[in-house]
Amino acid sequence: MKPVLLDLENVWKIYQMGEVEVPALKGVSVQIKKGDFVAIIGSSGSGKSTLLNLVGCLDIPTKGKIVLKNNDISKLSESDLASLRGKTIGFIFQQYNLLPNMTAFQNVLLPLELQEMSDHDARKQAEKVLKLVGLDTHMRHLPSQLSGGQQQRVSIARCLAANPEIILADEPTGALDSITGKEVMELLEKLWKEEGKTIIMVTHDLHLASYAYDKIELKDGKVVENNK
Amino acid sequence: MKFRKCFKHALNMVLHSKLRSWLTIIGIIIGVAAVIAIVSIGEGMQQSIEQQMGSLGGDILTISAGYSRGGSMFGRGRMRGGSTQATGKEVIMGRADLQALKGLADIALIDINIRGQVDISYQGKSGSLSLTGVDQKVWADITTEEIKEGRMLGSADQNVVIIGGTLADSFFSKPVGINKMLTIQNKAFRVVGILDGNSRNIYMPLQMAYQILENKQNGIYDSIIVKVKDEERLDNTIAKIESKLMLVRHVTEKKKDFTISSSKKIMETRSEMMGSINAFLLAIAAVSLIVGAVGIANTMFTSVLEKTKEIGIMKAIGARNKDILTIFLMNSIIIGLVGGLLGVLLGTILSESMAALIGDVRFMRGGTIVTLNSVLMALSVSVTVGILAGFIPARKASKLKPVDALRHD
Repeated sequence: MKPVLLDLENVWKIYQMGEVEVPALKGVSVQIKKGDFVAIIGSSGSGKSTLLNLVGCLDIPTKGKIVLKNNDISKLSESDLASLRGKTIGFIFQQYNLLPNMTAFQNVLLPLELQEMSDHDARKQAEKVLKLVGLDTHMRHLPSQLSGGQQQRVSIARCLAANPEIILADEPTGALDSITGKEVMELLEKLWKEEGKTIIMVTHDLHLASYAYDKIELKDGKVVENNK
Repeated sequence: MKFRKCFKHALNMVLHSKLRSWLTIIGIIIGVAAVIAIVSIGEGMQQSIEQQMGSLGGDILTISAGYSRGGSMFGRGRMRGGSTQATGKEVIMGRADLQALKGLADIALIDINIRGQVDISYQGKSGSLSLTGVDQKVWADITTEEIKEGRMLGSADQNVVIIGGTLADSFFSKPVGINKMLTIQNKAFRVVGILDGNSRNIYMPLQMAYQILENKQNGIYDSIIVKVKDEERLDNTIAKIESKLMLVRHVTEKKKDFTISSSKKIMETRSEMMGSINAFLLAIAAVSLIVGAVGIANTMFTSVLEKTKEIGIMKAIGARNKDILTIFLMNSIIIGLVGGLLGVLLGTILSESMAALIGDVRFMRGGTIVTLNSVLMALSVSVTVGILAGFIPARKASKLKPVDALRHD
C-alpha cells in the first residue's frame, strides 16, 4: 500500500461574485498516493483550475478538508503553508512563470534561497537539476533569451530544485509546439519513472492525459470519472 | 529567506527598474540636499555669530538718547542724541546723565561719544565719512577695536586721529601711513594709529570733535559707553543704570527716553532670530523631503502592482509573507539610502558653493559648516522615510493571495 500524500475530503470551493455564490467545486474527494501519475481533465469551467489551486495549496477550500502530508492546510498559518508548499510541491505552469529579470540559474536557485539552503549546496543543486533538464549550457541566459521549450525546461528544473515529492503541472505543453511538448512530457515521464516523483497534471488535452496512469475527470465541479 | 538574499533580490529590483528608481531617488536627493544645505548655512551663521560675540566685549553697554518702543530686531542703539520724541521736545544725553552714571559703583569706566559726518581729504582725494569723538582718557581701555599700527589715543593728544584699516589701505588712491596728515573739515590731523579690521572709522579726541562737528554742542553727547565691573551681573547693572537715569531724567518706565544696549544682548537676540529663521527654512526643506517620501510610496505601490504576478510565483515556490515584505521594504530603504547619500553629497556641494556665492556678508563669515551630525541625521531620516513610505506597499505585496497574484497579468 502506497502512502497517501494528499487527501481531499468532500472539498467545496465557493466563489462570491457580488451577491451571487458560485460553487466551483461541489464536494470533491480525491486521494493522491506517492508515485501516482494523475491527470486531472475536464473542459473549461469544469473546476479543474480551482482544483489545481487547492491541490497545490495555493488556496484553501470553503468547505471540506485537504490534508497534505498529515497537515490540514486550513489549520496552517500562511507562512507555514508557504514553507510546506515550497518543500513538498513543485509547480510547472503553462506560461512557465519564470522571473524575467533573473537568469535561468537564478530562477532555479530561488526556491533554494527561499528555503535558506547554504549557498554552496544551492549552487550545486541548481546546476544538477539544470543538467538533468539538459540546460546546463544556458544557465546564464535570461528567460527572454530562451525558446519556449527551453523556458519550460528551466521551470521544470526550478520545480525540481527543492526536490519536492509532488510535481504539479498546469497544462505543461499548452504553450509549446507538439515536438517540444512531447519532449517536455517525456521529461516528466522520466521524472516519474526514474526519480519516483508523484505527478499531478491538469490538462484539457486528452492525448496529453494518456501519458498519465490515472485520470480524474471533472465536470461542473464534480468528479465524474476516477479510474484510480 | 535569509536577509542577505532578500537584500540581493531587492537590489536586483532597484537595478531592473533604473529609470523609475532614479526618478524616485532624485526626489529624496532634493529633499536631503535642501536640509543639509540649510542646516550647514545655519551652523555657519551660528558660528560666525559666536565668533563676533567673543570679540565684542560683553561688559560694554551703550547708552543713548531716544527710545524705540517697538524695539527693532536689529536694534543697535544708534539713536542719535537730539532725536526727538513724539512730544516734539528734543531729548539729549548730557552732563547730568554722566554725573549720575559716575555715581554708580557697578560701572568701571565711562566713555563719551559724539558722531558726525565729515569731509576728509588726503593728497588731493576727498570723501565724506563718519567721525567719532571719544574720551581719549578711557577710550583705549573701553574699545573693542585693536591697533594694528601706531598707538591708541593718549590723554595729551589734540590734533590726531586713529583710522580704520580700510580707510588707511584703500579709501584714498594712496595708502595712509602713520604720521601722515589728513585734512578733516579743513583742519589738519596727524594719523597716530591704524586699526585692525575692515573699517572706515575715524576716532579723535572729544574736544577736537566738538570743534570739527559744527552742529554738536559741548556737553551734549550722542552716546555714553560704559564698561561694567562684573559681566556676570550685566542684567542687574543694566537695571540699576536704567532706574538711575529715569530718576535723573524725570521719566517713567512708560515715557523712557533713552536706550541702553548691550552688544552681547543684541548678539543673543540675533542668534535667537537666526535660529528661528533657520527652523523656518528647515521646515520648508522638510516639506520637500516629505514630497520625496510620497514619491517613494508611489513608486513602491506601482512596483507592487507591476510585480503582482512575480509575487504570486515566488509565493507558489515557497516565499513566505515575511520574505516578500522584507524584499519590498529593502527596495524602498535602498532608494531612501541612495537618495540620502547623494543628497548629502549634493547638499555639501551646494552649501560650499553658496558660501562662495554669498561671499563676505555679515553673519556668513563663518562660511557653511556640514557637520557629521547633520549628515548622520540626514541619512537616518532618509532611511526612515524609506521604511515609512515602503511599509504599506510592502505589506500589501506580502498579503497578496498566491492564487490571485498568479492570475494577475
